[in-house]
Formats: sequence, C-alpha cells, structure tokens
Amino acid sequence: MLNMGPQHPSTHGVLRLVVTLDGENIVDVVPDIGYLHSSVEKMMEYRTYLQNVALTDRGMDYLTALANEEGYLLAVERVGRIEVPPRARYLRTIMLELQRLSSHLVWLGTWGIDLGATTVFLYCFRERERILDLFEQATGGRLHHVYFRPGGVYEDLPDGWTDRVLAFCDEFVARVDEYHELLTGNPIFLARVQGVGVLPRDRAIAMGACGPVARASGVDFDVRRAFPYEAYGELAFDVPVFQEGDCFARYRVRMEEMRQSVRIIQQAIAKLPAGEIRAKVQVNVKLPRGEAYARTESPRGDLGVYLVSEGGDMPYRVKIRAPSFSNLYALTEMMRGWKVADVIAILGSVDIVLSDVDR
Amino acid sequence: MEALATRAWQAVVGLYAGLRVTFRALVGRKNTVMYPLEKVNVAPRWHGLLALPVDPETGSDKCIICFQCERVCPDRCIHIEAGGKGKDRLLTRFDIEMDKCCYCGLCVEVCPTEAIVFVPHYETSTYNRANLVYDLADLRRAAPKEPIARGVIAMRGRP
Repeated sequence: MLNMGPQHPSTHGVLRLVVTLDGENIVDVVPDIGYLHSSVEKMMEYRTYLQNVALTDRGMDYLTALANEEGYLLAVERVGRIEVPPRARYLRTIMLELQRLSSHLVWLGTWGIDLGATTVFLYCFRERERILDLFEQATGGRLHHVYFRPGGVYEDLPDGWTDRVLAFCDEFVARVDEYHELLTGNPIFLARVQGVGVLPRDRAIAMGACGPVARASGVDFDVRRAFPYEAYGELAFDVPVFQEGDCFARYRVRMEEMRQSVRIIQQAIAKLPAGEIRAKVQVNVKLPRGEAYARTESPRGDLGVYLVSEGGDMPYRVKIRAPSFSNLYALTEMMRGWKVADVIAILGSVDIVLSDVDR
Repeated sequence: MEALATRAWQAVVGLYAGLRVTFRALVGRKNTVMYPLEKVNVAPRWHGLLALPVDPETGSDKCIICFQCERVCPDRCIHIEAGGKGKDRLLTRFDIEMDKCCYCGLCVEVCPTEAIVFVPHYETSTYNRANLVYDLADLRRAAPKEPIARGVIAMRGRP
C-alpha cells in the first residue's frame, strides 16, 4: 500500500491516491476525494441567479471560470427562455475558446514539470500570461471574470481588443509548434508517455470518461458539435480523435484542440456581429417554475448543470456534473498494471482540477 | 547495437530541437518584470480596489443610498447606514470589508448613479486584517479625482 497525497505536489491540488502495490506494479488505485469540497451546489440554493455567477467562478473549476459560467447560465437561460443576442453569443464563444487555450496551457506546463521538462512550464505560462492580459482588458478579471450574465455579457469589448486577440492567435500557432519541438521530439518524454496508461474505448465509455480523455480513446464525441450551443453551430472546427488511448494520445488531442481553438477564435472574430450584448431581462433575473439540463464542453470535458427553479430569484436545486470527477474514476482503469513511476504521468495526462472534482 | 545507436541519435536530435527553442527564448524579448521595482500597468477595467468618487459639481457623494449594492453583494461585505430625512439624507457609514470581497463587480453593475467604481490599484496587502475594512473616508480617498465612465479610468498612483 502506498499513500500518495493529499499534499503531494504532482496531484495538482489535494487528492489522495491509495495505491495498492505488488513490488513496483500497481494492483489497484483508489482516489480519495473530498479535501476541497466547497458545497457549491448547496450554496447556490441560497444565492440569487445573478450572485451564483460569481460563485460558479471560484466554487467549481478555478482554471476555467468562464466555462463554468457558461454551463450554469445556459441552464438559467433555458429555464427562463431567455434569448441571447447574436453578438453576446459570439463574444461568449471567443471567451470560452480563449479559456480553453489558457486551461490547456496550464495542463501542458504542469504536466511537463511532472515529467521533468521544466522549461515547457515557463513557455506555457508566458503565453497564458498574454491570454490572462487579454481577459483582464475585456472582463477586468484574470482568473475570476464574472463576465457572463443571464441573457448576455456584462461589457462590450474595449477598443482594439479583437486586433490584439488576432495578433496573439497568429503568434500562438507558432508557439504550439515550439511545444511540439520541445516535447514531441524528445525521446525521454516519449518513453514516459507513449503506450503508457492505456484506456481502451469500451472502458472509457463504461467509466464515463469525457472530453479529451474519451477522445484520446477513440470516442468521437464533442458536445460543441453534438449539441451546439452559443455560436459553435455556425463555426467550422475539427474534433481531434485518436485511437491509442495512452497518455501520448491524450497529449496530442489537447495539442490539436489548441490549434482548433485558435481557428474558432479567428472565425468568430471575423463573423462577430454588431448589436446588443445583453437581452432585455432584469439584472436580478427571476425565473419561472421549471427545470433544465445544460451540457457544455468545458476544457476538461462534458460539463453539465441541472437546474430546478421553483419560481423567484433563487434556484431550488442545482446539480453539477463535473468532467474531472468522471475522468478521475477512469484513472483506476488506466493505472492498473503499470509501474509506480507511471502514476504521475498518467495522473497528469487526465488533467483534473480538484475543485471541480469535489465541487 | 544498431537500436542503441538509433536511440542515441534520436536523443541528440531531440535535445538539439529543445535547446534551440531555449536559446531562441534566451536571446528574445524579456518576459519578466522586476516587480517591486518596476510596476505593471493593469487594464483600466481591472477589478481592483472599490472607491466612492465624489461628484465634482456638488462636492458630495454620488450615492443615493438605495442599498442595491449592499443587497446584491454575494459576500455581504458592504455595510451602509444613513441619517437624516428627505434632501438632508446623508451617508453616515459606508464600510467595505475588502477581505471578504470577491471582486465580482456586481455592486458596480447595479449602482444606478455610478457612485461605486473599481480603481485599477492592486497593492492592497497589509499586515493586519483590520486594515482591510475600508470606511467612507478611505473609499473617497481611493476615488479618482476626475469624473469617470463606469470602471474605465486611467492608472493612478497609490490612494
């Protein structure tokens, strides 16, 4: 038996893994979660729909604040039958894809550190810093934006912001090639990730894996394409799918997703319509009685929010289906049969955020 | 033997590719700022310190004491009290507990008179938690000296 965590630097938060070993081989892995439980779902019942936007930012996945806001507000807008104006839909799409870039950069950088490639971290955070600066100029926040509102977004873009984003996009594509040079060509990196932690397709589906983890195992599914929300239905993008199911496939899926995100941002800015950024609803929105389930593709996978309204300005119940949670439980399947040294490589490749797992 | 040579060659190529990126970054533009010596200009919309600007025409607060910001605050960190009746109604207390504040900006959004705004100031750390309770005088002092659009003001020095 080996206890890994809860204060282990490579668990990316407070996760305890109870690893049962036979010599150096992993027999079983049981993730012990709950160290970062913040009872967001219950707190939401005592806050208004508007205040909950601020709560989704920090209570759920802290690296993808806007993706959380999106999932929650999509549910709110479905219950309230609020029509979001086209400009707001495009603005949200641009922000969500920038958020995906920044989240994947954190994953790549920290995973690089886990595997001993410390320089990648610095390069990733250099680019991430520029994305955060762009967020700061548009939303006022770097990590916690509180930018989306029921029926639209808070503020319109500042002058010249889209040009700065396009300039960043052009530069970023070259940076992705740089990461490939640093990692994909490196035999030490390949030896640690290629063929390691294989999750077969049927096990991925059975364990409820979602997002990049499922797509690396050959599950050709992306919520953005299957159930388009915001402006995704009007934009062209590819969904990278790999059949191998190992750490290297999960790495390649995310690297390719970064390129696709850049493509989506460029298209969305080119198509960005003028007009209203917010539907004509009360600031402190009140919803009719009803319930809705909203499904979104957060950078980590399939983020679902089930919202029940009893009328009034507070939700009756909110259930969050967190992507990290289901991916974490596919971890046991991936790790069985590998060596202790692979634990960190496999755990990093899943890309979990513990505040998303525990909520 | 041949496999070993291939792997050694791959390692050399991989190392070379990686080091090329490193050296490119070494001679390229510097990305870091020597922070306490050099300051960073944050964006005008930065969710920094909250402030109560004084109306330059009347010389008094823009606040009309509607309590909307107090009600909307998710952390309940704004405390307002007012005295007087009718036109003489005055703010007697406007405390913001910045240690509780989550910088969501909902108070700025709901304010009908733009009486509460964000100031792009980011050095608010202190050794004592009591220093983080900002009262009316502090919030007025933090305010920019010119009238501003909501949340969009130029960078100022320390309040």
